[in-house]
Amino acid sequence: MKARFARFTALALLLCLTAITVTSALAQDTAPPAPVQEVIAEDNPNDRGHAVLVRWHPSPDDGTTGRVTEYRIYRARCLPGVQPEVAEFERVSICSPALGVGAELDFVDVSDEIENGIPYLYKIETHGSAGVSSTIIDEPVIATAQWFDKSRLTMLIAILIASSVIIYWIQKAQGNTNIYLRPVAGLKAFDEAVGRATEMGQPVLFVPGIMDMDQIETLAGVSILGYVANMTSRYETKLEVPVSRSLVMAHAREVVKESYLSSGRPDLYHDDMIHYLTDDQFAYAAAVDGIMLRDKPAACFYQGKFYAESLILAETGNSIGAIQIAGTASPAQLPFFITACDYTLIGEEFFAASAYLSNDMRHIGSIRGQDSIKMLFMIALAIGTIYVSLACLGVPLPNWLDMSLILDVSGS
Amino acid sequence: MSEQKRDFSNARSILATDCGSTTTKAILIELVDGEYRQTFRGEAPTTVEAPFEDVTRGVLNSVLEVEELARTRNDNRRILNGEEIITPQDGDSGVDIYISTSSAGGGLQMMVAGVVKSMTGESAERAALGAGAIVMDVLASNDGRLPHEKISRIRQLRPDMILLSGGIDGGTVSHVVELAEILHAANPKPRLGMSYKLPVIYAGNKEAKQTIWETLGSVTDLKIVDNIRPVLERENLQPSRDEIHELFMEHVMAQAPGYKKLMSWTDAPIMPTPGAVGAIIQTVAKLMDISVVGVDIGGATTDMFSVFDGIFNRTVSANLGMSYSVCNVLAEASLPNVLRWVPMEMDETELMNRIGNKMIRPTTIPQAMEELKIEQAIAREALRLSFVQHKQFAVGLKGVQKERTISDAFDQSGSGETLVDMMNLDLMVGSGGVLSHAPRRHQSARMMIDAFLPEGITQLAVDSIFMMPHLGVLSTVHEKAATEVFTKDCLIYLGSCIAPVGPIKPGKKMLDISLTFADGKTETHELMQGDMFSIQVAYEEPVKAVLKPAKGLDIGAGKAQEITTELQGGLVGLIFDGRGRQPFVLPEDPTTRVAKLQEWSLATAEYPETETAAE
Repeated sequence: MKARFARFTALALLLCLTAITVTSALAQDTAPPAPVQEVIAEDNPNDRGHAVLVRWHPSPDDGTTGRVTEYRIYRARCLPGVQPEVAEFERVSICSPALGVGAELDFVDVSDEIENGIPYLYKIETHGSAGVSSTIIDEPVIATAQWFDKSRLTMLIAILIASSVIIYWIQKAQGNTNIYLRPVAGLKAFDEAVGRATEMGQPVLFVPGIMDMDQIETLAGVSILGYVANMTSRYETKLEVPVSRSLVMAHAREVVKESYLSSGRPDLYHDDMIHYLTDDQFAYAAAVDGIMLRDKPAACFYQGKFYAESLILAETGNSIGAIQIAGTASPAQLPFFITACDYTLIGEEFFAASAYLSNDMRHIGSIRGQDSIKMLFMIALAIGTIYVSLACLGVPLPNWLDMSLILDVSGS
Repeated sequence: MSEQKRDFSNARSILATDCGSTTTKAILIELVDGEYRQTFRGEAPTTVEAPFEDVTRGVLNSVLEVEELARTRNDNRRILNGEEIITPQDGDSGVDIYISTSSAGGGLQMMVAGVVKSMTGESAERAALGAGAIVMDVLASNDGRLPHEKISRIRQLRPDMILLSGGIDGGTVSHVVELAEILHAANPKPRLGMSYKLPVIYAGNKEAKQTIWETLGSVTDLKIVDNIRPVLERENLQPSRDEIHELFMEHVMAQAPGYKKLMSWTDAPIMPTPGAVGAIIQTVAKLMDISVVGVDIGGATTDMFSVFDGIFNRTVSANLGMSYSVCNVLAEASLPNVLRWVPMEMDETELMNRIGNKMIRPTTIPQAMEELKIEQAIAREALRLSFVQHKQFAVGLKGVQKERTISDAFDQSGSGETLVDMMNLDLMVGSGGVLSHAPRRHQSARMMIDAFLPEGITQLAVDSIFMMPHLGVLSTVHEKAATEVFTKDCLIYLGSCIAPVGPIKPGKKMLDISLTFADGKTETHELMQGDMFSIQVAYEEPVKAVLKPAKGLDIGAGKAQEITTELQGGLVGLIFDGRGRQPFVLPEDPTTRVAKLQEWSLATAEYPETETAAE
């Protein structure tokens, strides 16, 4: 009798346990997912306002089970006397589930509809296959504008240092004629090229690139043209400037006219020295080649932005025996210019040329300052490379070299 | 010239004179045991000025002295027959060749003109300087002066002649004609002989000849020669130099008192003294296939000559000299730079006063050791500054097209770089009172080393009795005699300077030295940075040397490359200089500097009496 009772009891217990398990599982499938946790809404930092940062931890049901399908974020204007539960929320975004519970999710609500200084309420709905659960942030959030973007503090410090160094060198350069500038053969050869043209009784050809005035290289090229024009006026040598853009023509005419005027020879200037050919790249190259072959200039300057026509021009100039000085920041064209021309100003040499040639101590001081900054950056890059390499190799570093500290500083 | 196209190859005796501003020097060169040797030397005051006003009087006086000296050896020897030089030699009478140079009356003073100052202007300057002229100014289209300023300058300077160049053949005509018009407007008069027209040599664009002739033909004595720069890639200086010599004879010499008579005596055209010095240096460099630097430091000017890779250059530093120009040396070099060579503690004011004294009493010579040291300190700076000017002028041609490859991307060499390469310099010759007549040859060697900073291995020599002008003009008629006398009698070989080049820390070893002497004896030495020492080696007994420079240093074969060579000695011997080259730095602290100067002085026996006395 006792044994029968014991078997019955065990069976009943097993059935109960099975029932509880099945009921529980059924209940989970039909219940909505758990709401998100630790929801925070705050003013988005370092901006002009009109933005709110919403952060939350995912629902405990967010994971591989697929019970959470998305999160919906709502915003409502917080009106006095209106309870958050009855506020009129408006959906602002939908976020995908995190597929895990560890990571924190966030969303920046940026909209001109958010008015600075006005409180807003936020609600996050957790949507799943079995329903929706929602979390309302009771505390209203106010978007405000900040005067300073602290995340750019590092940049501000860098700019201040750079500006200070440049201003220091400009100040130091004034009244000091003893600043060393690395000799650039190409810049020294300008006089020589114009001199050659003078001795040979042939014109000087100046090509300011094929692009318009919106290109920095064209601007630099036209600036150098001013210097060359000053020399041709003093040497009484013919100058020819074919251009491919009408704006460049107008600008170049002003620059050359000014140069001839400043050297006291306005009588030698005439507008036709700077003449428009065509906007088309290869038509322009063909036309300039034609000028070279007909007029046989003794000095050719290519200073500006160039593309595939660079080698065509430089090879033609070489074939007529001209001294050629090129200057461009286009890396693809540099090899052609270097091999076909007598001298080539590479990259920054080209941009620094006008200051170098003018011999104005303020400009030279500015170049010296920029060089000092470049040196600082190079040192910083070298130190950074060594630091990262040591960190990757697992070499123990002192606390003050902790990367997280550096990141915190830049992040702040 | 008494006779044209005579054969001088078998000449037995040669008489040469140099008519300087104050002294006329005569030398006699004779064939002794099959080789030409300088045998006797005479000297007499130059007689261009009143009361004599006849240069031949001084020439005859100096030759008379030579003759008297020659008679001490051979009683029958005669050179003069009354007031005439006997040529050719007949037995013991006369000489086969008589030649002369002249710098009396300030030498040949020229102006040159070119279209672009650094191109044809520079070529014209080279041509004039190479011919022995003093270039008073260079006119150019781009020299920044207005036409009236150029005209005023020409009138003010009154040169002996003008060399006009400009434009390559087929090049610019307008620029060179413009220069000619400026000359025409200036209507210049020659310095000597007011009734003559100013000689002008045109050596420019051949297409402008006609216009130049029309512009200048009537107002000047115009000579047209080949273009000095027919293309920008090549210079053609010789026709201009020949014409300068011709005009120097015709116009400048012919106007000077007594020169017409002197010209009728000589067997070769009279050359300007500096031109003759240049000629002998060129000849020696060519015959011995070496590179040479020569210097002649005078009282008012310093002449520099160099031949590198066969290219001859001469410069005149008009304001750097040891007496009249000594204060200019001070002004240009600055007091600290002069003081750095004074091997004793000295106040700047005192140094300045002593230098000022020298200027107002230019003919005085140092009477005390202290004065000698100061004078030699100034000489170092005068030589250094002259050499700097020379290096700036002795450059390659400008305006020449370059050929590039992609390897030139970051090393684009420019044109017009100096031709003076100290590492490839073989021989350095010093001349002029302060070098030739220094109390000790060691002092001459030290002055040349400190001023020129020779690199690698360089042989040093001084002109014994300022014979180079005589030999220069001789080289134009008898090259063999000129060269033989130059190497055997003219030069006094001081020795060789061995100086490694490159940066090194103080006190580190620069050079391992292994020497094998002519008698088989061997020695090893180490040259440390900051040290200097000398080893006695005679000129006739060169030593075999193995020199191994330290890492980063070059002694001539490349960085850290060992060389085995033969080192020529001399009166001073071998001087090993470990004070560094590129950079060469003297200690800045005065006490340390003086101590080091005294140490180097002792090590090279520069002022041995003083050092011994101090000890």
